[in-house]
Amino acid sequence: MSGTLLHPRLARTTVILYWTCIGLGLAIPWIAVILVDFFKHHQSIAQALYQWRLHLFAPGHNLFLVGLLNAVPFVLLAFFLLLHLGLTSSQSLSLARRRMMGAATAAAGAIGLSAWVHITTLWFPDAQGALVYMFLPIGLTGFLPVGYAVGRGLGRLLER
Amino acid sequence: MVSAPVKSGREGKERAKGCVNTEQAVSHTILAPRQIAMQLCALMIGAGLLGLTFWLHTGARAVPGLIRDLQGQDLQTLMLATQWLSELGEDARPAVPLLVDQALRHQNWNARVSAAAALRMLDLQAARRVMEGSLLGLSDPDAEVRRHTCALLGSLGLLAKPAVPRLIGTLADEDDLSRERAIDALGAIGVPRTDVSTALTTALFDRAPRVRHRAVSLFAFVVPIPNTALTPLSNLQKDPDKSIASLAQIALDRGGGVHHADVQTLVARLQRGDDREDALQRLAKLGPAAAEAVPAITPLLNDRLPLHRYLAAETLASIGPSAAKALPVLRQAIGDQDSIVREAVADALRSIEAAEAVTERMP
Repeated sequence: MSGTLLHPRLARTTVILYWTCIGLGLAIPWIAVILVDFFKHHQSIAQALYQWRLHLFAPGHNLFLVGLLNAVPFVLLAFFLLLHLGLTSSQSLSLARRRMMGAATAAAGAIGLSAWVHITTLWFPDAQGALVYMFLPIGLTGFLPVGYAVGRGLGRLLER
Repeated sequence: MVSAPVKSGREGKERAKGCVNTEQAVSHTILAPRQIAMQLCALMIGAGLLGLTFWLHTGARAVPGLIRDLQGQDLQTLMLATQWLSELGEDARPAVPLLVDQALRHQNWNARVSAAAALRMLDLQAARRVMEGSLLGLSDPDAEVRRHTCALLGSLGLLAKPAVPRLIGTLADEDDLSRERAIDALGAIGVPRTDVSTALTTALFDRAPRVRHRAVSLFAFVVPIPNTALTPLSNLQKDPDKSIASLAQIALDRGGGVHHADVQTLVARLQRGDDREDALQRLAKLGPAAAEAVPAITPLLNDRLPLHRYLAAETLASIGPSAAKALPVLRQAIGDQDSIVREAVADALRSIEAAEAVTERMP
């Protein structure tokens, strides 16, 4: 595949990754609430959506703020991704691929980790459970460089 | 450096779709600086819209929607709206008439109790109207109504102080659960201390284990033990119900739950600001034992929230002569804008000044 063909594809993928990170960062806690209502509490999707809307701004629940808090590390990753990938020279496509691999691994890992934590917190409720919403963004921010390094290493291995 | 010219047919198609724009074609990087700037601008606009959404759904802006929720049929929505309104303070005043109606007439008792609890935070006079309107429920022929009425009065806390004689009367109710709920409510109100302590001591002899259990647990953790309760509590250590016996043991070991450390903890909670209501109620129940808390309570007579001003005045009245240092601030507070607070301040002044006068007359 020629470099000139990869260039627009990488640009498009970068933009898609950027918005996916932001969107999922915001929506993972909301999706988790809806899924737990559906699968654990056996509510219909309509009921689960109604519960989500009801608790979006309610004090003591405030799912909107939980979403915003969860989105912080994802926005940081999106910002990094846009600059780091977007400013890669279009002539060094192997470097761009490795960077893409790093960013995608970090994003996938963070999304997986966040989803798992939110779902288990709701599935097994606990008095201290709300602390997760404070500490998860910090943990995710710490995970991102690790995920990126693993992805970069993986990219290098694949190239060989 | 300029990208290589487009040659392949596939690239031609992509260009036709608009996937490859002129900027990308001439850019040295995967994304042109202008494209990056545009994505960042879009993110800023998105963040601004989220901020606007949050602003529109919180604070005073949320009140009209919450009032609509109060008028709806869904109980969960109603309960959430009630709790939410209670946290909005002055902004939620337009909802007070609806909350009074909910507290007095809603078919679901949980909705009534949550409305009564919310009114404490919003309007003391409305909360008192609810208390007065609920008193009839204590003599209702239906035991279920009597039980729920006790719970509702208890949810008003110290504001239901005028209901104490009626609640004490409920201790003669034939229904065990009604008596248990009445004990609960008396424990939640806590003053006048002598009346409440006497009622709880009487309940230690109740025929129903659940009533004795409730009374002894209040003596173990909440209410100071009067001397008259020491013998019954000692006897309860041999109660056939093991949980009652162990609670009696705890009550006697703790000396009624009044330790220097307890008062200090409550003072710390007063100073933290987010937990003043419960701390003040507990200090009021301690009475003179809470004297060291007076310097922390006195500034609350000028608190923004009428409930805190009311509770501060009641607590000082309950502490009695040891609260004499608060007299100058109490005299200023007699002009409080809330009539319920003024009434409590006048009571506090009367009780402290009368005790002081007795002390002065002593040789």
